[in-house]
Amino acid sequence: MGVRLVKAAVFSYIDPSPSALNGEGPLFGKRATVQASIAVKGWPTEANSPALHGYLPLEDATVVERLKSAGAILVGNTQSSELGFGLFRDGAARALMEGHGDVALMTDTMGEARVAAASAGLFGFKPSYGRVSRFGLVGLVPSMDCCSILGKDPNDLAAVFHAIAGPDERDPSLADDPAPNLAPRSDRKAATPVVGFVAECLETLDRAEGTSFREALARLEQAGCEIREVAFADFDLFRAAHNLIGSVEASSSCGKFDGVRYGHRAAGAKNWNEMYLQSRGESFSLLLKAYLFQGAYFQFRDYPAFERACRIRARLVKESRSLFRRVDLLASPTRRAILDPGRAGTVDEVYDVFSLTLPANLTGQPALTLPGFLTDQNGDRGLQLVGPFFGDEQLLELGWQLSRPVEGAR
Amino acid sequence: MHYEANEAVIGLEIHVQLSCRTKMFCQCPNQAGDEPNRNTCPICLWLPGNLPRFSEEALEKAVLAGLALNCEIQKESAFDQKVYYYPDLPKGFQLSQFHRPLARNGWLNITDTDGLTRKLRIHKIHMEEDVARLVHEQEGRTPISLVDFNRAGAPLVEIVTEPDMRTPHQAMEFLRCLRTQLRYANSSECSMEQGTMRVDANISIRPQGSEQLNTKVEVKNMNSIRHVGDAIAYEITRQANCLKAGEPIVLHTRLWDPDKRATTAMRGKFEGPCIPDPSVPRIVLDDAWLQEIRRSLPEMPDRKANRFVRQYGLTVEEAGIMSGERDLSEYFEAVVEEKVSPRLAAQWLAIQVLPLLKERNESLAESTVTPVRLGALLRLLEREEINANAAKEVLKTLPESSLSPEVIVADGGYRQVSATADLEAIVDRVLQENPSAVANFRRGAGKAMGFLMGQAMQASGGKAHPRALKEIFEEKLR
Repeated sequence: MGVRLVKAAVFSYIDPSPSALNGEGPLFGKRATVQASIAVKGWPTEANSPALHGYLPLEDATVVERLKSAGAILVGNTQSSELGFGLFRDGAARALMEGHGDVALMTDTMGEARVAAASAGLFGFKPSYGRVSRFGLVGLVPSMDCCSILGKDPNDLAAVFHAIAGPDERDPSLADDPAPNLAPRSDRKAATPVVGFVAECLETLDRAEGTSFREALARLEQAGCEIREVAFADFDLFRAAHNLIGSVEASSSCGKFDGVRYGHRAAGAKNWNEMYLQSRGESFSLLLKAYLFQGAYFQFRDYPAFERACRIRARLVKESRSLFRRVDLLASPTRRAILDPGRAGTVDEVYDVFSLTLPANLTGQPALTLPGFLTDQNGDRGLQLVGPFFGDEQLLELGWQLSRPVEGAR
Repeated sequence: MHYEANEAVIGLEIHVQLSCRTKMFCQCPNQAGDEPNRNTCPICLWLPGNLPRFSEEALEKAVLAGLALNCEIQKESAFDQKVYYYPDLPKGFQLSQFHRPLARNGWLNITDTDGLTRKLRIHKIHMEEDVARLVHEQEGRTPISLVDFNRAGAPLVEIVTEPDMRTPHQAMEFLRCLRTQLRYANSSECSMEQGTMRVDANISIRPQGSEQLNTKVEVKNMNSIRHVGDAIAYEITRQANCLKAGEPIVLHTRLWDPDKRATTAMRGKFEGPCIPDPSVPRIVLDDAWLQEIRRSLPEMPDRKANRFVRQYGLTVEEAGIMSGERDLSEYFEAVVEEKVSPRLAAQWLAIQVLPLLKERNESLAESTVTPVRLGALLRLLEREEINANAAKEVLKTLPESSLSPEVIVADGGYRQVSATADLEAIVDRVLQENPSAVANFRRGAGKAMGFLMGQAMQASGGKAHPRALKEIFEEKLR
């Protein structure tokens, strides 16, 4: 119990007797933590929300089941933001920094996992949407939620991705692709990778951020990459489209939290409608309510705006994917220097924190954050590399290659 | 004062539960009638982390329904979230196809009261999941409501017609025709009594000959096709009275009360938004699959009825009855296969066999009166080995007996008496015992012959050959 109190800021639940199920699996001996918004059978999966108070999943999430059968040791549930929204409580990165685990699973809806990894000087990887099952994720924005991986070693990220990715009959929105196969590194003679950066994205950075980002690009060039500036006139629309569509989907997703089958139920209501209103009113924070209200507003009062946002999203997806005919990767910082994710007080401020990471959630592309490229007195801001849709293996491969000289230089 | 006649404009919204083994998005049995909350799982209870898994069987049955109702099946369709909050809906939205339905532009032909065929159009058909059933218990100190999730997630299609109907009769005929089509396609049981078909009617009235569409009123809660007709008729009269009294018609929903035979207004209708569901994959039908489903559709009733007239010489009415249910039509053809005259088979099925089964509360499929046994009985009748009376008697014993009709006829002494000597003896006795009837006949009272025939038939134990008997009477009384 004493141990548990010490770690309460990091873990919401610790397995009293962690063990590996498979002594021969590829992840044998790796200690993994799981965010409290991802179901582990019999562990309280409350996603830091009263709406899920006391909820014990009947089944493992697919990603958890696959981690277990690959031989990983599940340490415990790490603290989550309320329903995974934003980065107000993050136990995943801290658990790794404090040495409680080797890899961490965390959901990423607008960049939470990547920003958490970057802040802690870790590697973080959000796979392509549709490569990793969402079965067992509490979820907030179904078209953007993605189970992501944090780790200290890029090889661990690839190994975990390899273990958890692939078709799952319990998530029919998953692609029927064959199990991912990482080609042995020595066999791969990659041509010079072309790393692009979006001019309009660079304009949103302040002078110091811009300077250090350009330095990072220079280092990539030294490491053998070709750097190419690309234009993306509608870059500012990513944020607006994510915000609008995300809030609408979140509003629908949270409809299931009625306090009837599980979770907090308000006392003293006179009828079912009052019970719903009071239970929901007491379960959600002001900030999440603001997001859900915004979504409900577009659902009920301005549906055309939602439709326009969906059309814009489709266009952004198309434009973004077409950029990858000219580049292999798109680079940017992972997080802004000045913003503390834990202090965001409004929906807008939450979006400020994730303005650089959310495009990959909107387009479903894979994205990786590397430590050590963008470090200053404000800490590590992470170098984000976005790969082509379903190019997860290539992205992990390039990330591994690029991070070698950096590690050597340390 | 010139008084303008009104006409009604009627459209129907019909929810039909598909005959599937499982629910629409999970593997739970599609059986609402079991012990409450028995057929549930984390998906249909919508516990966090669970995702809908769309059933291919539901898609097949829905496509069959679309084809049976002459619709254009859409190559691409998708599910939306119809948002509303109510205790029968555990996730706050219903999965339904709002923006991109499965099928459009269908029609059915009905026969109207004037005997003419009317084509009634179907606007669209979309798939959706059913919601949980609420049971309100009023007894006890505190009234309570209970939720049964057995029905939650059951596979439905909603069929929306164009406002093409003008009379309660047309609406009822449409529903009967739709039911026949969907039962044929093995898509749905369509039982309003069992709740596998639920009908909402939208009704407005306007001056005869006008093309305008006036404010409509929705009527719900009818649990038989007859009630749909009654509720529509009531609503037409109610609206006409409103207009006469100068009261405006307002858009609202009314409930049919079968005991009072009247509709009463219910709470205002809440129309929630529909947003595309991100988790159920878009449905894309490939041509080969669709062809396969199309081929699995049986010969439908109208074509079958035409064939019965052409091939078997049935009257239009007989053909209509024999093709009205798929089971019956297949049974009928199986009896014909037994070398029985088709018209005799049709008449006996309609007038003798079906009433007998109804009395015994049996279906054709489960009855021991198989086509082979009925065929054997009707062959005896056709060969005049038994008469119609005897055949009826034997038919009544068939369900309880495992013997063949031939054996029953032989053992039970049902064989027809045709030998002239035997019949003459009977006739002589009857004439002798009924002198007053004979006298009446000679005075020209035609009825007396019927009486004498009856006496003779009775004396023969119902086995006399009727035509031979009559000939002997006529000869003896000449």
